[in-house]
Amino acid sequence: MKKLINAVLAGLVGLMAFTGAAAAAPADTKQKVVYHINGDDAKQQAGALRNIQNHINAVGKDNLDLRVVMHGNGVSMVLLPEALDKVKGFKNANATAEMEARIDGLKNQGVRFEVCANTLKGRQVDRERDLYMVDSADIVPSGVAELAILQSQGYAYIKP
Amino acid sequence: MSPSDELEQNAFVDGELSPDQQAELLEAMREDPELARRICELGQLKAQLRVAYANPPQPRRRMAGKVKASWRAFAAGAALLATGIVSGWLLHAGGPAWRVDTSRFVVLDPDGHGQAPALASGDETRIVFHLTNADQTVAGELLDDVEGMLKAYQADHRRLRVEIVSNSDGLDLLREGLSQHKARIHRLAEEFSNLTFVACKNTIDRLKVERGIEVQLIPDAEIIDSGVNHVVNRQQQGWSYIRG
Repeated sequence: MKKLINAVLAGLVGLMAFTGAAAAAPADTKQKVVYHINGDDAKQQAGALRNIQNHINAVGKDNLDLRVVMHGNGVSMVLLPEALDKVKGFKNANATAEMEARIDGLKNQGVRFEVCANTLKGRQVDRERDLYMVDSADIVPSGVAELAILQSQGYAYIKP
Repeated sequence: MSPSDELEQNAFVDGELSPDQQAELLEAMREDPELARRICELGQLKAQLRVAYANPPQPRRRMAGKVKASWRAFAAGAALLATGIVSGWLLHAGGPAWRVDTSRFVVLDPDGHGQAPALASGDETRIVFHLTNADQTVAGELLDDVEGMLKAYQADHRRLRVEIVSNSDGLDLLREGLSQHKARIHRLAEEFSNLTFVACKNTIDRLKVERGIEVQLIPDAEIIDSGVNHVVNRQQQGWSYIRG
């Protein structure tokens, strides 16, 4: 009888651990982080996305609320190469297939990519025509203000 | 650089060297600008990490491992299991979780987009910008953003304080003869008393020792001892930090 109880208990503990892992950590215990991108060097941007993947690997995607804010030259990370001659003020357009795959991979793990509306307006960027998969909900009025607001809400700031 | 050098430099940045060792390394830094630059960068990185992880999130509570082999615990375990399955299923299925007091949390719209929680009327937004790069195009864009924010806050009667701290190569922005934005800085500083431009004395001293340059600052720049130390202090005082 005792053996049976122990076996049932072991099964229960296992199941609980399983269901516990399936549930995301509650919002208030998640680590909140914002990454700031404003440079247009493709290597540096890819490096930043690698940093973010390492960050997710270390903390676990369910324990992390991670955002990337792009403004100024940083928007080049999602700027399609064929759009470069249609927009103003960009030297690089880095949304190559490789960059897109990195971005998709991170989005699938819950990372949000936010783009500054001031930059789009000032540099005559058409969100749908020129950018890789940027939704209207991903547009923030000002990248700089967004960085300040997120920090006031407890997001740790990292500039790779 | 040998591993022991690296260890020593880390210990120096962490303030863990003996006074003799410190003096020795300081002397070496005076003779080797590259070494000085490396140690300065190390210090900046560590300061950033300290601030970023000053308040690490609480680890997730584990339910497993606490159940003892008794009938009472078994019953409690079964109840917990039921709760666990239901909550796990609800959360996993994206179904409605129970209502909680959301006033403490970031407000999310249906797209999961964050919104600033309503601030009490007396609250002030405080931002310190840190410029270390010689590229003044970036500084120019930053001034665009800052001017936009200053105007928006003024129009809404919201309180805002902005400091722009320049050290290392970023000091060029505030140097007479090198600043590409001198007139604009003057206009902004005149118009907004809540905007301050700050230059790092360490950098000024270093330029003199290393390259014999007598730095002259533009009239609107104030001087503080250490730019890096200043931005770390500001963050610990609750300021938002943005690196240019």
